[in-house]
Amino acid sequence: MREDDGSVPDRTPESTLGSKLSREHVAALALVVTVVASAALLPTLADARPAYEIPVDYQQSSADLSEPSGEAWDSVPAASVPLSSAGASVPAADETSVESVRVEVARTNERLYLRLSWADATTDTSTDEISGFADAVAVQLPANQSERPPIAMGSTSNRVNVWYWSGTGEHEALLAGGPGTTTEIDEPTLRANATHEDGRWTVVFSRSMASDRANVTDVSPNRDMDVALAVWNGSNMERSGRKATSEWYYLALGPDTGGPPYEAILWSVAGLAIVFTTLVTIEGIRRTRGE
Amino acid sequence: MSQSDDSTVDLAEGIDHQVAMVMDLNKCIGCQTCTIACKTNWTESGGREYMYWNNVETKPGSGYPRDWEEMGGGWDESGEERTPGDLPDREDYGRAWDFNHEAIMYEGSDEPLRPLENADWGPNWDEDEGAGEYPNSYYFYLPRICNHCTHPSCVEACPRSAIYKREEDGIVLVDQDRCRGYRYCVEGCPYKKVFYNAETKTSEKCIFCYPRIEGEGPEGEVRPPSCAEDCPPQLRHVGFLDDEDGPIHKLVNEYEVAVRLHPEYRTEPNVYYIPPYAPPQTSEGGETLDAERIPRDYLEELFGPKVNEALNTISRERDRVRRGEESELMEILSTVNNDDQYRLEVFDDA
Repeated sequence: MREDDGSVPDRTPESTLGSKLSREHVAALALVVTVVASAALLPTLADARPAYEIPVDYQQSSADLSEPSGEAWDSVPAASVPLSSAGASVPAADETSVESVRVEVARTNERLYLRLSWADATTDTSTDEISGFADAVAVQLPANQSERPPIAMGSTSNRVNVWYWSGTGEHEALLAGGPGTTTEIDEPTLRANATHEDGRWTVVFSRSMASDRANVTDVSPNRDMDVALAVWNGSNMERSGRKATSEWYYLALGPDTGGPPYEAILWSVAGLAIVFTTLVTIEGIRRTRGE
Repeated sequence: MSQSDDSTVDLAEGIDHQVAMVMDLNKCIGCQTCTIACKTNWTESGGREYMYWNNVETKPGSGYPRDWEEMGGGWDESGEERTPGDLPDREDYGRAWDFNHEAIMYEGSDEPLRPLENADWGPNWDEDEGAGEYPNSYYFYLPRICNHCTHPSCVEACPRSAIYKREEDGIVLVDQDRCRGYRYCVEGCPYKKVFYNAETKTSEKCIFCYPRIEGEGPEGEVRPPSCAEDCPPQLRHVGFLDDEDGPIHKLVNEYEVAVRLHPEYRTEPNVYYIPPYAPPQTSEGGETLDAERIPRDYLEELFGPKVNEALNTISRERDRVRRGEESELMEILSTVNNDDQYRLEVFDDA
């Protein structure tokens, strides 16, 4: 819309309308357009990502996604997830050391990939000494997604799956129904690869999206999924409930990866309300002046 | 509680009966036969090489693992909050030493057989050192196994309930399938009688030779734990604390001469000790003095204040025997009949 000189052009659809509207009305209309455009654009800005969202990047091919330093990760947006002590009932549970984990998530049609990276200057990879504990990271998912499970390892009636990687090089799939109940389950499609470079661990988990087995999370490509994370620093004697954990986040797998579907609607409604108020105010002033 | 209704013995909640052991420290000669009997049965290999589920240490002394009494664990004064404990280092238990076998056996070296390096600590490093000055130096031997406590802090310490007291006899066991090697039980046991196996990545401990007491041992007979049966001076009684006709109940609850090691840890051990009564002190000239050789303070430190009355009772009963009177207590303590010492089938028909 042209409005730079404020004149009302002839022989355009707007001219008919414009002949009936004052300059104020034109300005107000411009405002409407700006507001609606903003509603559409805002979610695409990185800093406007909804709280607790972890974006999921769809890729045609798995390429080198399973590698911690794979180039396919270059285009995947990252989320920084803060961690704090889980507060479990084990000695020194509050003495944890890792404060955040960087999370990137990609998927193909077949597999889900999570790349987790966190700062840890020491590579604790052995449990061969009596006081030796290994660095570790875990991803917690609801076993089934009808209701969000309690954050601390779920509950007996609402279980979680845990993908656990240890600095010893092992990884395992676990099922849990509350603290202290983790039990290894057979999950042949779970993989994990790790590197430690420049004082950071980078671990890539991947697993088949679909599962038709009871108590094994079925990852839908069309629906957001809850996820929580935990990191252990072995040299700080972190193990078990002595761990740095996140709150529940969600993987934005659903069709609108820009955020909750109602967001754009809310922005538009708010914008239109502003415009309406402006128009009413302008009209009020005009009438007061007796125009 | 599921114990028999007329029992006066306190057992842990949910436990039918409680195995118990009484060790008479006056009989221990420090030969380590119990240690080796245990080791050959249970801890010879597979990451257990450093473990001694049964050990015999010299007291006063640092013990095994080194300075275990200073590592915390157990319960606070209320008996409800656990006291934080430390994980011992491998060095505290003692690492296996490498010897110069190769040089001597195959390379013709004539140097003496000796450890190559780091031979500066191990189990029994301070054996027979004790304390005190000649001619009144003193020491005694203290055999130790898991106490299969009534209020076990190791059990409470495990966030996975992988370590538990089994219902039928109160033996404390680690479920090897549930254990994930967190080692909170190792920290939590004030006696340091739970051990981490770095090969299996699980914690392990004395099992009170439960296959033997279940009749799955040699010749399919019910037998006491190896440490007891193989002891040359037969210093142990084995049975159930709640067997009120048995010698253990008499020694612990009736005569109160069998006392717990470090009762202040409040885990309520089910291994009890007849405290040592060493010969009295002597003068430089070799005359007997009217003074106890092992300071009572030290014995109190180990066994709590009840050790005083225990020693007094034993002294009194010995005097009775000297006077030619009968003493049930001294008969129990001096029996050579294994049937009296080991009573493990009393509840079999219950």
